[in-house]
Amino acid sequence: MTEEFLELAGGRVHLLRGGAGEPVLFLHAAGGAGTWLPFHEGIAAAGFEVIAPDHPGFGKSDEFPEEDSIDDLVFHYLDVLDALGLEKPHVVGASFGGWIAAELAVYAPHRIGSLTLLSAAGLRLPDHPVADLFLMPPAKITATVFHNPPPAAPAPDGPLDIDAIIAAYREATALARFSWVPFFNDPKLERRLRRISAPTLVVAPSDDRLIPVEHAKRYAERISGATYAEVPDCGHAMYFEKPEEFAAVVTAFLKEQRS
Amino acid sequence: MKFSFFHLMPYSQLPDDFDTAYDSISLTYPNANFDPAFGASLYARYLDELEYADQLGFDGIAVNEHHQSGYGLMPSPNLMAAALTRRTSQARIMVLGNAIGIRGNPLRVAEEIAMLDLMSGGRVDSGFVRGIGWEYFGHSINPTKSRSRFNEAHDLIIKAWTSPEMFSWYGENYEYRYVNLWPRPIQQPHPPIFIPGAGSTETMKFCAERRYTYMSVYAPTGIVRRWFDGYRAAATELGYVADPEKIAFSVPIYVADTDEKAHREAQPMVEWLYHKGLKQTGEMVTPPGYMSPGSLRGVLASGLRMGGNSYEDLLANGQAVVGSPSSVTKRLSELYDELGGFGQIIGLFAIGPSTHEQVKRSAELFATEVMPVLRPLGTEGTS
Repeated sequence: MTEEFLELAGGRVHLLRGGAGEPVLFLHAAGGAGTWLPFHEGIAAAGFEVIAPDHPGFGKSDEFPEEDSIDDLVFHYLDVLDALGLEKPHVVGASFGGWIAAELAVYAPHRIGSLTLLSAAGLRLPDHPVADLFLMPPAKITATVFHNPPPAAPAPDGPLDIDAIIAAYREATALARFSWVPFFNDPKLERRLRRISAPTLVVAPSDDRLIPVEHAKRYAERISGATYAEVPDCGHAMYFEKPEEFAAVVTAFLKEQRS
Repeated sequence: MKFSFFHLMPYSQLPDDFDTAYDSISLTYPNANFDPAFGASLYARYLDELEYADQLGFDGIAVNEHHQSGYGLMPSPNLMAAALTRRTSQARIMVLGNAIGIRGNPLRVAEEIAMLDLMSGGRVDSGFVRGIGWEYFGHSINPTKSRSRFNEAHDLIIKAWTSPEMFSWYGENYEYRYVNLWPRPIQQPHPPIFIPGAGSTETMKFCAERRYTYMSVYAPTGIVRRWFDGYRAAATELGYVADPEKIAFSVPIYVADTDEKAHREAQPMVEWLYHKGLKQTGEMVTPPGYMSPGSLRGVLASGLRMGGNSYEDLLANGQAVVGSPSSVTKRLSELYDELGGFGQIIGLFAIGPSTHEQVKRSAELFATEVMPVLRPLGTEGTS
C-alpha cells in the first residue's frame, strides 16, 4: 500500500493505493478515512488496484471549504478521476461514501465501470429515517453500528487527547457540511437513479440500525439490473465488523465485472 | 451602573424522575410534559413580572429566544417584547436576543425590531445571538454555517435599518432583490446592539469594532474575567478604552430579607437552573462546526472543568448571587472588582421554580436597596 497526495485546484487530496489490476475507487464511510483495512487488502488481493481517497475535510485531505453540498462532491470526484487518469473505474462506496458513489453514477454514468453500494446513505425514506449519529455520544455510536459491539474501552486515565478530539470534530464538521440538511439525503436522487447504467451491487448488513436496510432495498429496486445481497449478523460498521465477508461479497461481484 | 431584569420564562414543573429519565430539558424532552393551561398561566405571570420591574425602576427588561425547551419558553422574543411595549413606559425593552444564526429570514428580524422600536417609542435594544447548539438540531439549520449565517444576517439587518435607499443583497446564505424596509427604526442610526460572548475572540473583536455591548453568559468568574479582558483588549487594540457601559454581566440574583431566608429559598431555584434547566449533552452543546477547531482547542486546553456544580460552588464561582440586600450589594461589588469592572448587570430574578411572590419581593429589595448603592459603579471613568 502506498500513500500519496493529489493536487486539485481547491486543495490536496490524500489517498491510499494498493494492489494491481483494474482500478477500484473506494469512497469511505463517515469513519475510517485514511485507514487501510483488511477489507481493502482483501479486494487488492483479489487482483484489483484499490484507490482510497479521503473526502474533503477528512483524514489528511484538505478542507475544500467551498464544497458544501453533494453535487460539489460529485464534481470533486470527477476531478479526482480526471487527475488520476481513471476513465471508467469500478466504484465502491460505503454509507456516506455510498451516497457519493450513487450520485457520481447518476451524474456521469459513462465514467463508472461497476457500482457497489454498501449500505449507502442518500435516499429520503421518511418511514425509515437514518438515525441521528450527530446526537449520539461516541459510546452510543459504537453500540449502534455494531451487531456485536466490542467491549467498551476503559476510560483513559491520562489527560485528554485534545488532538484526537479536534481531529474527530473536524471530520464530523466535514460530514455535517454535506449531510446535516437534508439529512443524509438528496430528495431528487431516487428518481434520478434510473440514469445509472453500470452493473450494480447493493449490499446491506442484516442489522443496520443507522441506515435501515430499506434504503439498500430501495436502491436495488430503483437501479436497473441491480443485485441485492445481505451480510448476516452484522451492523452498519460492515467491513469493520465483518471484513472477510464484505471483502468476499464485493470481490465476487467485481470479478464478474472484469472487462 | 445600569440594571436590567432578564427573564428566561422557564417551564418550572418537571416530573420527579426528570434527572434519571431525560438527557435534557431541551430538544428531546417530550412535549407531552407541557401543560398548555399551566403554560398560559406562566406567560401571564412572567409578563406581569417584567412589567413590575419597569414600575420598580429597572433600566431594562429583557427577554430572549429559545426553541423546543423548558429552559426558556420564548421561541419568539419579539412577541413578548411587543406585549411589553404596551404595558410599560420607562424601561428599555431588551431582546437578548434574536437567534439570527438559525432564522430562515433575517430580513424579518430587521422588520420586527423596527416595529418594536416604533411601538415602544425608541426603547428597544436589539441583541443578536447565534442560537444554542441544540437549536441547530431542532430547526434543522446546518451548524457548520452558523458563523457565516450570523455574520451575514447581522450585516443585512444593519444595512436594512440604515440604508437610505433600496438595495439588493447577494450573500452566501441569503439573497434579496428588494430590501426596502418599512417601517424604519426610530432610534438612529439603529437600536443599540447587544452580543453575548462565550470566549470566542472573533466575537470580542466583532463587538469592539462596532462598539456593541458585550454581555457574558453564565460561567465562573475566572472565565468571565477572561472574556471581559478580551473585549477590553480588543478595544485597546482598536485605539480606544472600552466604555464600561458596553460590558454587561449576566447573573442570576435572588434577594430576600435575610441571608438565611434567601439561601433557603434560592437553593432549589439555583440548583434547578444549573442541574435541570441547563442539563444537556455535549453533542447538543457543540454540534459539528458550531465551533471552529481553534475555538474548540481553546476551550479544551483551558480545561473542560468549569468548577463544581453544587449550590455552594455556584455561589463561590459567581454563577448566582444570593442573600440579603446588603449581602447581595457586597457580593456584586466584589464581582465588579473580580471581573475588572462592568457597567451593566443583567439579573435573572425568576429562577427555576421560584414563585411570583418570591420574584416580586426579590426584585423590590434589589431595586430599592441594592440598585441605589451600586448605581455609581461602572460609569465612564470609574474603571
